Amino acid sequence: MSNSSKVNRIKDQQPAVPPARLNLWLFMLASSMLFAAVVSAFIVHRPDAEGRGAWTAFDLPVFFLYSTIIVVASSVTAYLAQKNAKNDELAANRNLLLVTTVLGVLFCISQYLGWQQMIRLDLTFVNARPEDISASYVWVITALHFVHILGGIALLIATWISAVRLNVHKKSMGLMTITHTYWHFVGVLWIFLYLFLYFAQ
Amino acid sequence: MLNLCLKTPFSTKLEMKMDTLRKSLASMALFFTPILAMAADEVIAPPKEFSLANYDWISILSVLLALLIILVVARAFDIGALTEKITGKSVVKWNDVNAWVGVIVLVAGLIGVWYELKYHSIYLMLGNSASAHGSTYDSMFYWTFGFTFFVFIVTEVLLFYFMFRYRYSADRKAHYYFHNNKLEVIWTIVPTIVLTFLVLRGFTTWSKITTEIPKESQEVEVFAYQFGWKARYAGDDNNLGNSNFTLISGTNPLGVAEDNAVDELVKELEAEVVKIKGLQASINDSVAVWKKNHDYMVSTGLSRTYPEEYKTVKTKYTDGISGAYERTLEKDLKRKMTNLSRIVEYKKDRTFFDGSAKDDKITTEIVLVKNKPYVFKFRARDVIHSAYMPDFRVQMNCVPGMPTQFAFTPTMTTEETRKARNNAEYDYYLYCNKICGGAHYNMKIKVTVVDSEAEYNTWMASQAPFVAPVAVPAPAGAAPSGDSATVAPVTPTVAMK
Amino acid sequence: MSTAAMHAEHHHHEEHHHHESFISKYVFSMDHKMISKQFLITGMIMGMVGMIMSLLFRLQLAWPDEQFSILETLLGKWAVDGKLDPNFYMGLVTIHGTIMVFYVLTAGLSGTFSNLLIPLQVGARDMASPFMNMLSYWFFLASSVVLLISVGVETGPASGGWTVYPPLSALEKAMPGSGLGMTLWLVAIALFIVSSLLGGINYISTVLNMRTKGMSMNRMPLTIWAFFFTAILGLLSFPVLLGAALFLIFDRSFGTSFYLSDIYLEGVGALENIGGSPVLYQHLFWFLGHPEVYIILMPALGITSEVISCNARKPIFGYTAMVISLMGISFLSFIVWGHHMFITGMNPFLGSVFMILTLIIAVPSAVKAFNYITTLWRGNLRFTPAMLFSIGLVSFFISGGLTGIYLGNAALDIQLHDSYFVVAHFHLVMGSAAIFGMFAGIYHWFPKMYGRMMNNTLGYVHFWMTFITAYLVFFPMHFMGLAGVPRRYYQFTLVKEFDVWMDVNKLITVSAIAAGVAQLFFLWNFFYSIFRGKKAGTNPWQATTLEWSTPEERIHGNWPGEIPTVYRGPHEYSRPDREEDFFPQYIPDESDLAQTETQKTKTAPSESEVEETESASVFFAAIKRVFGLS
Repeated sequence: MSNSSKVNRIKDQQPAVPPARLNLWLFMLASSMLFAAVVSAFIVHRPDAEGRGAWTAFDLPVFFLYSTIIVVASSVTAYLAQKNAKNDELAANRNLLLVTTVLGVLFCISQYLGWQQMIRLDLTFVNARPEDISASYVWVITALHFVHILGGIALLIATWISAVRLNVHKKSMGLMTITHTYWHFVGVLWIFLYLFLYFAQ
Repeated sequence: MLNLCLKTPFSTKLEMKMDTLRKSLASMALFFTPILAMAADEVIAPPKEFSLANYDWISILSVLLALLIILVVARAFDIGALTEKITGKSVVKWNDVNAWVGVIVLVAGLIGVWYELKYHSIYLMLGNSASAHGSTYDSMFYWTFGFTFFVFIVTEVLLFYFMFRYRYSADRKAHYYFHNNKLEVIWTIVPTIVLTFLVLRGFTTWSKITTEIPKESQEVEVFAYQFGWKARYAGDDNNLGNSNFTLISGTNPLGVAEDNAVDELVKELEAEVVKIKGLQASINDSVAVWKKNHDYMVSTGLSRTYPEEYKTVKTKYTDGISGAYERTLEKDLKRKMTNLSRIVEYKKDRTFFDGSAKDDKITTEIVLVKNKPYVFKFRARDVIHSAYMPDFRVQMNCVPGMPTQFAFTPTMTTEETRKARNNAEYDYYLYCNKICGGAHYNMKIKVTVVDSEAEYNTWMASQAPFVAPVAVPAPAGAAPSGDSATVAPVTPTVAMK
Repeated sequence: MSTAAMHAEHHHHEEHHHHESFISKYVFSMDHKMISKQFLITGMIMGMVGMIMSLLFRLQLAWPDEQFSILETLLGKWAVDGKLDPNFYMGLVTIHGTIMVFYVLTAGLSGTFSNLLIPLQVGARDMASPFMNMLSYWFFLASSVVLLISVGVETGPASGGWTVYPPLSALEKAMPGSGLGMTLWLVAIALFIVSSLLGGINYISTVLNMRTKGMSMNRMPLTIWAFFFTAILGLLSFPVLLGAALFLIFDRSFGTSFYLSDIYLEGVGALENIGGSPVLYQHLFWFLGHPEVYIILMPALGITSEVISCNARKPIFGYTAMVISLMGISFLSFIVWGHHMFITGMNPFLGSVFMILTLIIAVPSAVKAFNYITTLWRGNLRFTPAMLFSIGLVSFFISGGLTGIYLGNAALDIQLHDSYFVVAHFHLVMGSAAIFGMFAGIYHWFPKMYGRMMNNTLGYVHFWMTFITAYLVFFPMHFMGLAGVPRRYYQFTLVKEFDVWMDVNKLITVSAIAAGVAQLFFLWNFFYSIFRGKKAGTNPWQATTLEWSTPEERIHGNWPGEIPTVYRGPHEYSRPDREEDFFPQYIPDESDLAQTETQKTKTAPSESEVEETESASVFFAAIKRVFGLS
């Protein structure tokens, strides 16, 4: 706090958990609820629309599978980056962060290609046949997740810059932990969403 | 226009706007200037001159006066507070005053409740219900009412009594009492038991009302649209014809599957498709004309003199230039084509077009026979409506794309209710009870319950079937046959464009 | 800046350790106390707008055939010749509902008092993230501005009711208000959701994580419990509304068919959309909408608990039961949304399930009401305005809550759904009750906010006028509802059967105007007292909770020295073993002092240890804190 005054110079009791980290967990809870809402809308809507012939099941683009693999790999590198930072292996941490970031970008590209594939199959967001609501759902779900991934990439880049400035190490793990947690979150979220779409389609 | 017949302020206003538009467009087609000015003069009222007399000075002054009074009162209280501060004594014992006011308010409130219950008693729950399930409903209601009213009286009285009894006294110290397991368990358990009773009763009542549908029930389709209702009875074949929203047209307001009406709609749609294609072909020319009009208005300064007209001209111009017009046309065309192809699909399905819709009767009034079970099948054309018949304890939403139903048996004729309520003009109505647009408040259909099948049959005979039979002589009141797809004469308000 | 000036400022800074520029102190403030005032003032302005709107449409309902030139002056083309336009009537109803539900009673109430009281009552310097807290306010303000702008657009504001059910809200052709006005409404609500989430995350994280020494969860004042559960409800339910709003936006602007199906529009023809489900929106909306009711009510209940306990000079009766019932209400509120949809044609069995769950909520609510009444029993009641408003709240909570038993019953709901009975029910139980909680909070904590007292006498006038008029406005509506009068009708003159209610309608409108006048007393009192009120001193109500241990000078950081330690529960009034009738949480007695001595021998965990906590164990750590294990 920039405008902290004399009062803050008194040593207060430290909170049990760094506030930023708890806030992140709460944010993840909230955003899980958003996905839960969309996914349950999908579940509730499907039989209803199917009954009226307005639901076309289709195979997910193969690129979404590649994305899943990428996201698993990036989770592993993120984990390793965190571990290295904890052990003060700063160079390894930096490199792994960079690799994770690149994997994140690759994930985005893969998602983009997946969407292209859907468009080629006429499974557009606003459908060629407006009664096919299934594709709209896939678009909404993947796009919402994409927004979360973009946030994650921003965090990764911020952490990487911080690591380059030697601000990420054993004694200063705040940002690293947040990035690491969040990246796992978006990763797990994607795996869940992919499996859901795969089996629910 | 449907709206027109309702004579709502909104629809007339809409109509006026349309008029303005048409007039200005027409004058432009005749190539502007003096004519445009004259036409516009007709349409646009000259601006009101500013005059003090235009203001409602009495209201303004009374508002100011009220504000002044408030300020004075507020000041007076301030001065009172100041006096108290100076003298160090409280002028008024506010604590006692508040306690007393509490008691007075409680007593006055309870008297008010009693008076209201007495004064309006015959209107509450609309007297006796006019349907078979209504009595079950009413008994459920009175149980709940008895229980909640008792709790209401007891708790409110206790609240204000304690407020009065335990008002502050300097000699006393409050009783340090923060917990009593027994007491808390009691007032958890007792409401639980009472609620269990209510839940079980509610459950049985609800299941009975929603799931028990006698087999011999007659189906009546109730169709909701902005802003009105229509009912559809099966004709002589006792079979309501199929219907679909895609088949709705000016002559077929409910979209029933009837060949002639649908063929007409197909023709209509095809004509529109041709028209849109024509517009698409001449899009450059139209845009050029609009551009010319627009530039003309700007260069001559007419745009400032007639801002309303200029607005429409400008909208057209910008839509044309930006391609919005083209997109609208494309969208329109796509929609019309989709509809056409869907209709063609439907027409292939001969079980859907089974001819049972021909003798259906579309009516603007609902007539029911006493003690005969009915199932109302609800459909909505545009937005969600809700069919609400308070006299019968019936309500069900009408949702576009989701047919709903409600089964009930009327048990009191209109005449009987008139007698019971001592009101010779009383009628049952079905209201709309889900916000559905500007004229929501005026969306109702009369429901009449008659005593005998014979009365019903007489009424039924006066209603025209959807397609007037050709071979058989037409029943009284029906449109003369000839054109095989005439609209029922009882619905003269329905006309598209 | 010259060196001299810098030096001067430096000097200045030394003297008053709290130098802040006007902007950072009053505008972009990160001090929770200032943010709470910002929420309060914005909420009050929105409240006035909402109230004026309600008066405008009440005029229409009471005198449908009269012409009010004031309407034309105020509304221009929407009230030509002083007669309200039906579409604009709907717009007013919609915006009134939206403003009152979201802007006044969610942000204005919970935003104000969560911000003010959470750090003060748990003993924290500020919120967990002051910056997020500031953002939360600015999103809220932006949202308010967008909503107010939407009232002025040419086609009128959103007018499909505050629940904005599609297809009505999705189709511009179905209602003029569903055009630009609706778009702005959605933007406003999206901003509001962001604001509410930012705030909620902060509240939860502060309560869980930033409590001072000795402030275990079971020593927290009931206000904090209420704000805590409120924040959890908001955090879990607002994202769902965001989802619902997103789908609606897609349907409106992109042409998807999430909610649209089988629609034929006059002048357009049949639309293409097939297979959308309008009822899906209702499910998603009410999944927020029902918790929202408790998001509104629970802070008011929390405030009431504090105020009643303090002014009855008695501990609140059944603290644990109060917390458990809050918990029960919060949990149940997530699984009862279907009772808003009994007559949408949903599966009757599902209806029964929702009915059972709904009626269970009555049990914890009843416990709360009984506990309040028992707290008054053998108390020593001081009728400050705050106390009166709290008692008023209990009264409304009972009257309005009991009618919930009718409406939660699927069978009875058939007749009462969307009738005036519903209007009466929710205006009493969540409208009036919550606004009374807000007033109680303002009167009670005004000294903490502005360091001055409000005028009690004016407070009494305000209370009795508001209390009586609120009952006069909303109680008769029950009877209208029982007679089958539908809500959201522009006028009733077209139905002869409703004529008997004309005089009741007039009574309601006159009372509503009187209620509006009563609020002027409050406004005068509020703003006058900010500048001219009597100086308050540190603990004007002789209360026990931690916020009254802060000095009169309100500084960022709350306590100039160390944050006080908490030694006991929040409601130690009239303890038989004490001379004074209150025993603050922060004052140690002899045994407590001995205990602190032994505690000091334990070493606190070093900073690095704290930092190294695995992220996965955050919740375990939090849970440990909850149960006081760490």
